[in-house]
Amino acid sequence: MVPVAAVNTTALLFFIPIVGLTLVVTFWASRRAQTATGFYAAGRGITAPQNGFAIAGDYLSAASFLGIAGLIYIYGFDGFLYSIGFLVAFLTVMFLLAERMRNAGKFTIADVLAFRLRERPARVAAAIGTLAVAAFYLIAQMVGAGVLIQALVGIDFALAVLITGGFMLIYVILGGMVATTWVQIIKAVLLMIGILVMSVWVLIKVGSPIELFNRAEANKGGADSTFSLGPGTFLPKPIDTVSLGLALVLGTAGLPHILMRFFTVPNAKAARGSVVWAMVLIGAFYLLTTFIGYGARVFLGPEGVEAAGTGGNLAAPNLAEVLGGDVFLAIITAVAFATILAVVAGLVLSASSAIAHDVWSSIIRKGKDSEKEEVVVAKVAALGIGIIAMAIAIIGGSGLNVSFMVGLAFAIAASANFPALLLALTWRRFNTTGAIAGVLTGTLSAIFLIIVSPKVWPGADSVTGSPIGWELSNPGIVSIPLGFLACYLGTVLTTERGAERSFHELRVRSETGLGAEQAAAH
Amino acid sequence: MDASSNTLQEHEIVDWEAVERSPEFQALVSRKRRFVLGATIFFLVYFMAFILLCGYEPGFMGESVYEGLTVGYVLALTQFIMVWSLGFWYLRKADREFEPLEQKVIEEALAMTRGTSGAARTDAGDARVGTGSVR
Repeated sequence: MVPVAAVNTTALLFFIPIVGLTLVVTFWASRRAQTATGFYAAGRGITAPQNGFAIAGDYLSAASFLGIAGLIYIYGFDGFLYSIGFLVAFLTVMFLLAERMRNAGKFTIADVLAFRLRERPARVAAAIGTLAVAAFYLIAQMVGAGVLIQALVGIDFALAVLITGGFMLIYVILGGMVATTWVQIIKAVLLMIGILVMSVWVLIKVGSPIELFNRAEANKGGADSTFSLGPGTFLPKPIDTVSLGLALVLGTAGLPHILMRFFTVPNAKAARGSVVWAMVLIGAFYLLTTFIGYGARVFLGPEGVEAAGTGGNLAAPNLAEVLGGDVFLAIITAVAFATILAVVAGLVLSASSAIAHDVWSSIIRKGKDSEKEEVVVAKVAALGIGIIAMAIAIIGGSGLNVSFMVGLAFAIAASANFPALLLALTWRRFNTTGAIAGVLTGTLSAIFLIIVSPKVWPGADSVTGSPIGWELSNPGIVSIPLGFLACYLGTVLTTERGAERSFHELRVRSETGLGAEQAAAH
Repeated sequence: MDASSNTLQEHEIVDWEAVERSPEFQALVSRKRRFVLGATIFFLVYFMAFILLCGYEPGFMGESVYEGLTVGYVLALTQFIMVWSLGFWYLRKADREFEPLEQKVIEEALAMTRGTSGAARTDAGDARVGTGSVR
């Protein structure tokens, strides 16, 4: 259905104004990205609604837009479970971390750990967690970008990765957090408009939501159909469903590029305001994924499954083509491209800040470097991370499994970053050994359980694929408790002076905002 | 920014332990905890119950409520409503109830710090203070 060979010039026509706008914003932002606060945190001058849009822009990846629509198209209701988990996760972020991070942190999640724990090992632990999550997520997005742009625009996979990576680096290196934030806001607005137009279009053609369900069910297909209006098709093992649900709802609260966004607002009030803005936008978006997914089932039918590609990723663009022809397909393609650009920019920024702020400035230079040096290092780090991610994406090629790597990123975030952060902020006794044990155990157990999971091994459909007979596809239900357990054991089995005393300070700061970082003067 | 009145200055030394012990801080934390802990337990239970139903009772979740509208979809919609309601409820509660309490703690702490400036220095660990101290 989608022309794969020929270059889609209509789509390129829509790319140009979008990309042009983001570049103008980047150059406008570049003079505000020269200080550390400007580069990492946009001078802490982002308002709550702006940050809400930017969180939505950071969070709603191509996996959300194309991936969930595709899963709903192929599997029906089970795809929608992702939408719900991704949204409910923001309650975890709001109640447990958002304001505390804003009050007690500066640029990275390591700041919060380093506050009360021994600084250098705490920063190493946090940097490991941040970089592991960012690396898997970033490579997944790059591969996704390459596959999609290749399919939709008709340019070569490697070239598509290079173009995506190139823009990402321009935004981050020239414009820092200011440019990245505005790229995310622009993308969020485009994505919301795109999915709204498409959903309304589907509804007008079908008549009503009930009619949409009825006709989707009628288009179920033959006896071997995977589609159902009820659960159990994509996730046939109940324990896997539960495990996935846990990783989704706790993982978001450990994603460094999302948590970093709370350092860009002036205070805790704006932090919680921005979470609620994000909840409204992200919730509306995920609600509409069912209209796109079921709409695709109605208009593409069971015979469109093959054309929708792996995981149904092309279901949404194919639906756009059926609804509005080449022009609407081109618009939706351009929106998908903007979606990927914004997410990868946010990820690179969070990874480069972990390297420059935590590893370079605090660990290697022991805080003796100048602010100017730190910003230069952050830009060099962004370049390095970007090049490595592009190289892995191109070498691994489209064979790298995108959903596997996104799952891994969420599993590590939930099992390593989330326990350490939550306990550092709330548990008086927590100490450095506990943090290191937790981050390492969470990261390694998530990686190990994913490597032995049946998804990765040949014969993926049968549980016999795993070499040790491991049957879970999603590691969360094991690795998250392991992460917490390691935090606990590491803490109670060792004694450390000072961690408990500096907890008084961290607690007062994080609960009240006393002494919190102020917005830069304009 | 009116930097001096209600924000901590670089040179000011706060006795964090005393602030933590103060009745104002205890009042803030217990009020906040009551709401946040309750809400967190509620949404985790509500979400996990939904996930457990999806996992273990797919037949029930796939039953029709009205034509193609399934039990699962209706319960899914209640998850959206739950997220938005809790979000707005918390905003209201935080603005009206928690923030005034936070301001009281900050005022008390600054009064304590400025009234006994210098004397509050208890040891080196507590001296690590100021707007740029995280680094």
